[in-house]
Amino acid sequence: MRHKILIIDDEVDFAQMLKLNLEERGEYEVVIEDKAINGLAKALEYQPELIFLDVIMPDMEGPDVLNQIRCHAQTKDTPVIFLTATVKREEVEAEGGHIGGHPFLAKPASIEELLQCIEKTILKFKPLGLS
Amino acid sequence: MDEVTKLNFGEPIRVLLVEDNPVDLKVLERMLLESSLYPPEMVKTTTSFKETIKLLKKEKVDVIVLDLNLPDCQGLETLIQLNQQYPSMAIVVNTGAYEDDVGLKTLGLGAQDFIIKGKYQAYGLNKAIQYAKERKKFELELLNAYKNLQETQSQLIQAEKMNTVGRLASGIAHEVKNPLATILFGIGFLHEKLKDPDENIALTLKSIKDSAQRANDIITDLLDFSSLSKLNTRLEDVNTIIEKSLELTHHPLDKNVIKVVKELMPALPKLEIDCNRIEQVFVNLILNAIHAMPKGGILKIRSYGVSNNQAHKAKNRNSDLRKEIEAVCIEIEDTGVGIAEDKLPHIFEPFYTTRRAQGGVGLGLSVAKNIIDMHKGQIEIKNRTQGGVCARVVLKIGIKGG
Repeated sequence: MRHKILIIDDEVDFAQMLKLNLEERGEYEVVIEDKAINGLAKALEYQPELIFLDVIMPDMEGPDVLNQIRCHAQTKDTPVIFLTATVKREEVEAEGGHIGGHPFLAKPASIEELLQCIEKTILKFKPLGLS
Repeated sequence: MDEVTKLNFGEPIRVLLVEDNPVDLKVLERMLLESSLYPPEMVKTTTSFKETIKLLKKEKVDVIVLDLNLPDCQGLETLIQLNQQYPSMAIVVNTGAYEDDVGLKTLGLGAQDFIIKGKYQAYGLNKAIQYAKERKKFELELLNAYKNLQETQSQLIQAEKMNTVGRLASGIAHEVKNPLATILFGIGFLHEKLKDPDENIALTLKSIKDSAQRANDIITDLLDFSSLSKLNTRLEDVNTIIEKSLELTHHPLDKNVIKVVKELMPALPKLEIDCNRIEQVFVNLILNAIHAMPKGGILKIRSYGVSNNQAHKAKNRNSDLRKEIEAVCIEIEDTGVGIAEDKLPHIFEPFYTTRRAQGGVGLGLSVAKNIIDMHKGQIEIKNRTQGGVCARVVLKIGIKGG
């Protein structure tokens, strides 16, 4: 079965490219939500295994969306990776891939970096043998 | 200026009379001594330009009363020469009566006053000398204040420039990184799809990817420049950072056929520094050295301890000396083209680059300087007398930047 991934990002072009790249691998099924405010609803409806979340969006900030996701019983354990242009690769690397306890990826990240991060995050949340 | 200078008429004054005519000299000497309320503390005399320069080398003189026509130097040239060699000296020109028009000219050439032979008396002479001394003092102070003002102004402009760049950079970075990420992902996808693209398509994809990557590097530089707000310091070994910086730059070093010579002092004391930032500085300096040696050369990288301004060069490996080390000095030398002297004062300014045509943005060294400043260290770049450039970074031990 393909892993379900949700991208919450107002940059539709970027999200579209990310979706294409991931789906090209054959292991992922990707849905895009470009309105932060609908982020939680989409997560509840689609039930992804992983969410990519932008930080700066016009209608609602990424951390607030995360807060909503964490507060809902159905999504509270869904892994979320912040994917943002507001941080630099070096900053993320210096912190071991996490900022404030959350996994971060700096835009532009290479597709390899993304895949690695996805694998690591999904595996962490679903130990081998359970998936 | 820390305090306002006060007029100090009547202070002891040291006068030099430059006059080759013995009669005129006698008159001057008599006038100086006979009628002044405050006779000069010292009166010396010379009769030629050469003798004057010789005397000024050993005697402290406040005011020179200068005859323009000396055996070895004549006319305005006498004043010009003297003023050039002793620009802070107060000079009163003592002209012949037939040289009325010359007198005025001397004021524009650095003289404080002019007096005309035979037309002044003791009172006038003494007044001219006193005023000349005071005026020169004020002139020098004014010049100094003006210089300070100019320096402060350029620092303020610089600070404002940085501030503006900082504010712009983070805004622009976010806006530009998104489309760049889209382009890079788009290319990645096309690469994946076109398993076996023809040569032109492959070339096009590569050009787009490289350009997007370059744009991203520029934006990252800008962000670096604007976000140097905090350091992540830890006790680190400088030599390890140097080795890592060399590793990171080994491709361009190899490409330009550059030989690396390392003189790293072993077991240097650890420094409280941000290793990523310091590595960034070293990489920047190494890249500059590489750019200066397109046809190959030698890159020498050296580290050693410094105590009381005394460098313990690498050969000094005595452990007692090591305890006294107060700072660590890192030098990166190249055998390249060097930097034009007129460009040297500007190299740390943001957006100043000598490599604009090659895509240089001019942020590398200003970022480096910012980083070193934040570590409360020093960075300087000089041309070497043997050719090439020496970049020197000094980081103090036990000082935590921030």
